[in-house]
Amino acid sequence: MKPLVHILFALLLSALQASLLRWAGGGAFSLLLPVACVVYLAIHAGNVDGSVGAAGVGYVMDLTTGTTKGLMTFLAVAAFLVVRVVQSSVDVRGRVGFAALTGLTTFLVSFGALTLTLVASPSEVAPGIRLLPRMLVEAALTGALSPLVLEGMKRLDGLFRHEETGLLR
Amino acid sequence: MLQLLKRYRELILVAALLVVPLGVYFARARRPAERSALDRAVVWATAPVEKAVSWTITGALRAWNGYLALHGAEERAVALSREVNSLLVERQELLQDRAEVERLRRLLAFARAAPGRSYVGAKVVGVELSPSGLQLLVIDRGEEDGVTRMKPVITADGVVGRVHTATAHGAEVLLITDRSSSVAVQVDRSRTRGNVRGLGRPEMCKLDYALRAEDMADGDLLVTSGTDGVFPRGLPVGKVTQLKKSGNGLFQDAMVAPAVDVTRVEEVLVVSGWETRTSEIGPASPAARGRP
Repeated sequence: MKPLVHILFALLLSALQASLLRWAGGGAFSLLLPVACVVYLAIHAGNVDGSVGAAGVGYVMDLTTGTTKGLMTFLAVAAFLVVRVVQSSVDVRGRVGFAALTGLTTFLVSFGALTLTLVASPSEVAPGIRLLPRMLVEAALTGALSPLVLEGMKRLDGLFRHEETGLLR
Repeated sequence: MLQLLKRYRELILVAALLVVPLGVYFARARRPAERSALDRAVVWATAPVEKAVSWTITGALRAWNGYLALHGAEERAVALSREVNSLLVERQELLQDRAEVERLRRLLAFARAAPGRSYVGAKVVGVELSPSGLQLLVIDRGEEDGVTRMKPVITADGVVGRVHTATAHGAEVLLITDRSSSVAVQVDRSRTRGNVRGLGRPEMCKLDYALRAEDMADGDLLVTSGTDGVFPRGLPVGKVTQLKKSGNGLFQDAMVAPAVDVTRVEEVLVVSGWETRTSEIGPASPAARGRP
């Protein structure tokens, strides 16, 4: 149930992101807000529900970004694993840390997408390295907005938390 | 085997979540395929969410632009309204200036067309078109500018009148429509002579002393004949209208529509001197100088 709610939240984020980009950016820049969900899952969720949630979020990104199916799903799960590894050695606390990690992950996801597209697509249609500045802007913007996603995900998780009454802490 | 699967189930799951999408990706990248039913269903489910979000953002933007951003709009509107009014006044002034330039250009062209005459340009500063018959204009040039009594006053369209009284810096012009005004004329086409007399009405004069047997028709142009010693020869005075040729009497009865609309004159030329031909008498001629 919990991964499904996360996926639905990612869907809502994607819709919000599309509307925001339409009104604010007009194609001048892009965002990958669902990556913040993946980062959150990597930090706070377990291995199974986290990876399933990340795959679901990746699937949503596949559908909403219009990439070839499977690309973003793979990258989301890969990002989940990378962040999990990072999180085991670096304690990410607070909004700033979350934003920095999300920005870095977003850049890795974008770079991974670029690399895989270069590998899989014919060279004449494959995107070039000239997308790098755009990817950096995307990572920075997504990282800057990620604390909002963090709050949303925390509230969603709060819905599934049942505290036993009368328990002394 | 089952125990092994149980033991490494998380690892297997994660590996599957990595490998399967990657396989799907490479398969689809080489052979692009249509979206599946599940994909379409998810996209279909997303559409209302996107619409709702878009509607919310649009509504918020409209509310901002329609209400909150209108703070200070009244002041801006008032300032713009003032600016528009100022521009309208300025435009009106420019239009008037343009009309004046056009009139002056015509006057200049008219003056250049007759190099034998000398002129003093003047602005009309007063008008008296009394119903009792007195028809006067006041101009801003007087004796110090060379404007003296009996000097002809004209525009590019024709005769306006003659100087009635002159002071140092101004003069009164007796219009040809005044009751006491009389101008010697001839029909431009047939040279038939006559006399144009004012009736006290700005739009009409009377033609006197045109002999009954002479050639004259409605619409004929009347020009100054130069025989009255006031006006140079050949200046348009008006057109013959309402011509009546009676069976008896010495003269033809006709009205004259003045060539110049005296109610709209703004700039005039005072003819201060001109060269005369044999049948013409003017101030610059020896004959005129000898007159009392």
